[in-house]
Amino acid sequence: MEVLNGIIENYYYMVAIILFVIGMYTMLTHSNMIKKIIAMNIMDTSVFLLFVAIGYSDGGQAPIIKEGAETIYVNPLPGALILTGIVVAVSVTAYALSLVVKIYRYYGTCDYDEICEIRSQE
Amino acid sequence: MGFADHFPALIVIVLFFAAFFSPLLFRWAEKFSAPFVTAALAAALVMTVTLLVKVQQTGTVLYHMGGWPPPWGIEFKADPLRLYILLIVISVSLWIFVYAVGDLKHELKKEVIGWYYTLYALLVGSMAGMALTNDLFNLFVLMEICAISACAIISIKEDRECFEASFKYLILSAMGTGCFLLGVAMLYMATGYLNYSLLQVELAEALTLYPRNIFAAAALFIVAFGIKAALFPLHVWLPDAHASAPSSSSAMLSGLVIKIYAFTLFLIFYQVFPRELLEIVPLNEIILWLASLGTMFGSIYAMLQTDLKKMLAYSSIGQIGYIFMGIGFNQDLALVGSFYHIMVHAVTKAMLFMVAGVIIYSTGVRQIKDLAGIGRVLPITMLAFTIGSASMIGIPGTGGLISKWYLALGALEIGRPFFVLVILASSLLNAIYYMPIVVNAFMHQEDFKFKAKPVPRFMLVSLVIGMIFIVISGIFSKPVITLLEKSITVLF
Repeated sequence: MEVLNGIIENYYYMVAIILFVIGMYTMLTHSNMIKKIIAMNIMDTSVFLLFVAIGYSDGGQAPIIKEGAETIYVNPLPGALILTGIVVAVSVTAYALSLVVKIYRYYGTCDYDEICEIRSQE
Repeated sequence: MGFADHFPALIVIVLFFAAFFSPLLFRWAEKFSAPFVTAALAAALVMTVTLLVKVQQTGTVLYHMGGWPPPWGIEFKADPLRLYILLIVISVSLWIFVYAVGDLKHELKKEVIGWYYTLYALLVGSMAGMALTNDLFNLFVLMEICAISACAIISIKEDRECFEASFKYLILSAMGTGCFLLGVAMLYMATGYLNYSLLQVELAEALTLYPRNIFAAAALFIVAFGIKAALFPLHVWLPDAHASAPSSSSAMLSGLVIKIYAFTLFLIFYQVFPRELLEIVPLNEIILWLASLGTMFGSIYAMLQTDLKKMLAYSSIGQIGYIFMGIGFNQDLALVGSFYHIMVHAVTKAMLFMVAGVIIYSTGVRQIKDLAGIGRVLPITMLAFTIGSASMIGIPGTGGLISKWYLALGALEIGRPFFVLVILASSLLNAIYYMPIVVNAFMHQEDFKFKAKPVPRFMLVSLVIGMIFIVISGIFSKPVITLLEKSITVLF
């Protein structure tokens, strides 16, 4: 019961980890390059979700400190970090997509298995 | 604060600055573009040396970005060990750049050369940052810059093998950084800090409260850096990527990029994780076995190759194994050996890839069997190859012997003579695939079958510098070893 309660209370962590595993699995097993890139994004996003979830606190407010008022604040640091993380993920995606475009021009396909077949026939 | 106090940040900033201005210069005043980047690298080198002298006199320097102390701001740390790595990174990349400026004209289209300088400076800058930073999230950003620019200096050659190789590299390294970031999230969850020094203090306490988080983080870090540094079963991207790239990129990737990740893993093991963690979980043991398998299998795969650059790439997988072995032994003499090997292998492998570049430029030959008799046509080039091979095998008089000697001493010190045998066996395996090329090049009866263009002087000069360095590092190893011993014994 204790384990189950732990999972229910921290379900957002579980969601993040499940997404991470889905992303990793797709990235490693699918031969379609576009799907690999989508999986890469799912994986990155899951980690961002986990990071932002760490900073959340129940009933917390935006961390703008007012004199005298005693309130709970949400931790702003993970949010700031994740903004940087998103920018990094976008640039990696852009570069990966541009590589796929170039590969498509040579082979006429985005599928890794088909490319291997074409190369073995040469 | 005086100007000299900002050196830790300026080393990185100067290189990034050069990265953004070199394509503009290339468009407006092409002549000045390469000297500009060279000047930036030289400036970074001068700053590193000054900083090293200062650190030796006054002790570790901590630099706070924008004047914000941790845990709020990013911290750069300059201790002798990090500066030693930084010195290797910057001086070797300056040396490779001098070679690259001449060689790139033959390998790339003219209009992309300016962009190549950008990527090169970004790569060196991010590696310098990784050596200096004391903050996990900053490390993540620098790792991504390093990954993108490392993939891009492969794909810039614009042939289809390069595109495929760099796509494979990019996907696997994105997986590595994904794992790394998840590990960082785990540590942040348990402690609330990202700074190395603060984490080490807090983690010792958190280890009893949240052991699962920290074990998961350790596992994720091993996978992340294992992929990035091509530790044995995770090396699949390396051979294609390093073999298809332009020769100067191969030299850079094989010589420096994989090592900086090994060094970062070392920092995380000894400056982030508390000592108790390494005692509870056999992390070192895992690394030790993977590294030993890597030294054997890297060499065995290398033996089967017919392409010269592919062979050199597989040999890198074997050599990175020695560097990881030092971390695996968890013992100061072995660590001295593996740090010495970072320097020796950076120079040797970079020089061997330059030799491959010279051979391809001059004769167009890539296959190993076609190299028979080439020693009489390109004597200095093949002499460089011979000295490089000797250092890879560990023949006395070259730097390769010193590092293997210290690794073996470390293995004996902790009472595991089996690994001395592993080191010996892998050296023999190295000899099996390097020596036939040397023997064939000089002793073959018939003449060389292909036409050879004369080799430009700057290429030969770069090779000669490498040869001299390898011999010096084999004979006068004392100052470097003393520096390493002094800074590594502090950790134990």
